[in-house]
Amino acid sequence: MVLVGPSGCGKTTSLRMINRLVEPTSGRVLLDGRDVQQGSAARLRRGIGYVIQQTGLFPHRTVEDNIATVPVLDGWSRARARGRARELLDLVGLDAGLAKRYPHQLSGGQQQRVGVARALAADPPVLLMDEPFSAVDPIVRASLQDELLRLQQKLGKTVVLVTHDIEEAIKVGDLVALFRPHGRIAQVDAPEQLLAAPADDYVSGFVGFDRGIRRLSFLGTDGLALDSQPVLPADATVSKAAATGLPWVLVTDGDGRPRGWVPAHRLSAAPGLTPLGEVPTDGFGHTFTAGVDTLRAALDAAVLSPAGEAVAVDGAGRVTGVLGYDQIRAAIQAAAELTADSAGDLAGDIAGGDSG
Amino acid sequence: MSFFSWAWDWITTSANWHGNGTGLDGSIPQQLLAHLGYSALPLLIAAAIAVPLGVFTGHTGRGAALIASLANVWRAIPTLGLLVLLVVLLGFSPLTWLLPLVALAIPPILVNTHEGVAGVDRDVRDAAKGAGMTAWQQVLHVEVPIALPLILVGLRTGAVFVVATATIAAYIGLGGLGRFIIDGLARNEYGPVAGGALLVVILAVLVLALFALISRLVVPAGLRKQERSE
Amino acid sequence: MMWSWISSNEGMIWQETYETAYLGVVSALIGLVISLPLGIVAARWRWVRPPVLTIVNVIYAIPALALFIALIPSLGLTDTNVIVALTAYSLCVITPNVAAGIRAVPPAVRQAATAMGYGPLRRLVTVELPLAIPVIIAGLRVAVVSGISLTSLGQLIGVSSLGFLFIDGLQRSFPTEIWVGLVLVIVLALVCDLVLIGIRRALTPWASRA
Repeated sequence: MVLVGPSGCGKTTSLRMINRLVEPTSGRVLLDGRDVQQGSAARLRRGIGYVIQQTGLFPHRTVEDNIATVPVLDGWSRARARGRARELLDLVGLDAGLAKRYPHQLSGGQQQRVGVARALAADPPVLLMDEPFSAVDPIVRASLQDELLRLQQKLGKTVVLVTHDIEEAIKVGDLVALFRPHGRIAQVDAPEQLLAAPADDYVSGFVGFDRGIRRLSFLGTDGLALDSQPVLPADATVSKAAATGLPWVLVTDGDGRPRGWVPAHRLSAAPGLTPLGEVPTDGFGHTFTAGVDTLRAALDAAVLSPAGEAVAVDGAGRVTGVLGYDQIRAAIQAAAELTADSAGDLAGDIAGGDSG
Repeated sequence: MSFFSWAWDWITTSANWHGNGTGLDGSIPQQLLAHLGYSALPLLIAAAIAVPLGVFTGHTGRGAALIASLANVWRAIPTLGLLVLLVVLLGFSPLTWLLPLVALAIPPILVNTHEGVAGVDRDVRDAAKGAGMTAWQQVLHVEVPIALPLILVGLRTGAVFVVATATIAAYIGLGGLGRFIIDGLARNEYGPVAGGALLVVILAVLVLALFALISRLVVPAGLRKQERSE
Repeated sequence: MMWSWISSNEGMIWQETYETAYLGVVSALIGLVISLPLGIVAARWRWVRPPVLTIVNVIYAIPALALFIALIPSLGLTDTNVIVALTAYSLCVITPNVAAGIRAVPPAVRQAATAMGYGPLRRLVTVELPLAIPVIIAGLRVAVVSGISLTSLGQLIGVSSLGFLFIDGLQRSFPTEIWVGLVLVIVLALVCDLVLIGIRRALTPWASRA
């Protein structure tokens, strides 16, 4: 679950109410149906993982002792806790050799991973993350986000993440709560719904321009009809290519991998019996893997292609066909109809009342 | 003759190592030991009071303003005046020298301990709390270890201070190395004056060295030492 | 508390107060003047810093009385003796602050100045030093306050100051005199402290008044 909103909207405060770093002035926070305010705060927090933007790693302890913090608090022997720490280092993708280093010797991205490892050490069912990736550069951030998704798939924990970056929210969230300034919630929905059906102008403004195209990253490319007519191997002759009557022809090599596009006018300029392989080709941009990549990737490939058609490949990189704008448009329309129906369903669920 | 030659001559005169302690001067080893005692005792008492207090105020943040003003005021108090006042009012007794020494050793220790604990990175404290540490655990496992360099600076300052002030306390009748200085001044003998002074200096420098050693042993390698002027 | 004694000895009291102020402030100022170049050098060249800071720590640890005594063969029992000793202490306090203050200037600010065409000297004088003023003055405050307090110690080697009131008061078992000395030293020191705070405010109009 991602809490997203502008600065000062209360998303961090809301997060910190879950582990009682902030005590609510009214209302209740229920964890597994139990009010978090009952019982000791320290005990509660040991059962909840907590990751913050600046990591807050203990500078006076080694990496492994940092990770072992909560297990040791829970009474584990130091040896056992350190063993667990090493497991976690592996889990978050860090080299075990870093265990005896100190935090200041690590890079920002490495420190963040240690922070996550520390939060997971006691295997808590819930993980709170407060802008965990905002302090690292975009490349590291993207890889950390991917790691998080991978971890989430593997561990299946309940994660509540706070961010101010709507793109991050859309990328990692299963459910996104968008905050207005001053603490009210504007919309709680699956990320795709936020893009497809924003509740009001505030939401659509926050979600941003070109949300239509971004929404395409939630649509798949399986089952789309690919056109194989323009695809010809390099040993086919120019006259055969010209006989298709198509404005562009895609040349593949002996393995079926794409070489490039050839426009019709270049075909007519060459002698008929020349193999296509000897005709200069134009680049094809990038490919997309049908059934795996999203419609957005397909659209992007089509835009980059000189022929206006996206090159579809299979898992091994062999061309399976091409996709033109018409087919893409049809796919988008079909998805829109489907979403309009399900948007109504989801809205009904939310109106029916849940705590999220 | 220079200061060092005066001092050296006097220190290497073997008679000065064998005085019987009932005379005005006492022997070097006697007064040295006494001086150590008169310094260590107030320091320990002051530390016992100031360190826990500073940890408390640093952790809770309460009293920060008070401590800031304390930092300024304590240097303004002339130790000689305080000692003299107490002696005149109360006569010479353990209280008259112990009390002011303890009272004046507390501020540097308190201020530095407070700064050290309060200065622990906010995010580190947040993480400690979020990991589920009780207040006690936060202080013991996180805040104090991180504050250790500054706490040691405070203790070092206090230690050097008591060594110096114990010297002055000879003026109101306390034993120790200051005895050589005060009595020598009274009798116009520069030998013991210089010798006593040199011994005090050596003692002070040894205290510095001791704290440097303690620092190296006790402060975890992961902490970069902060260079702060007191 | 014998108020009559105070009024009948006003002249002497003011004289000693002036002496104390003079000795404390002058030595702190001389210390400042020497500390500035020393601190600037320490800020610029990193290999200079550790030795300088160690030396400074050691000298500061030397008890004041011992330092006065060590200076007797060369400087006798004079004002100069006390001034030299207190200047040495001021140096020990202010130099690290000068170095720290300069180094605390954010690298972004330094780079911006260089990028705009400031040569190193001009940048130092017009950007780095002004920004270091609060830290430097903090050191100066410590030097002045402790200097004034230590001046009274000079009385033990015969250098006249408010310390006279302590010695005389002890000899005569006269608490009033001692109280007067104590109060005046402390008040004098705190007044100088406040003055320096005021000077700092005046010199740093850009600083937020927290």
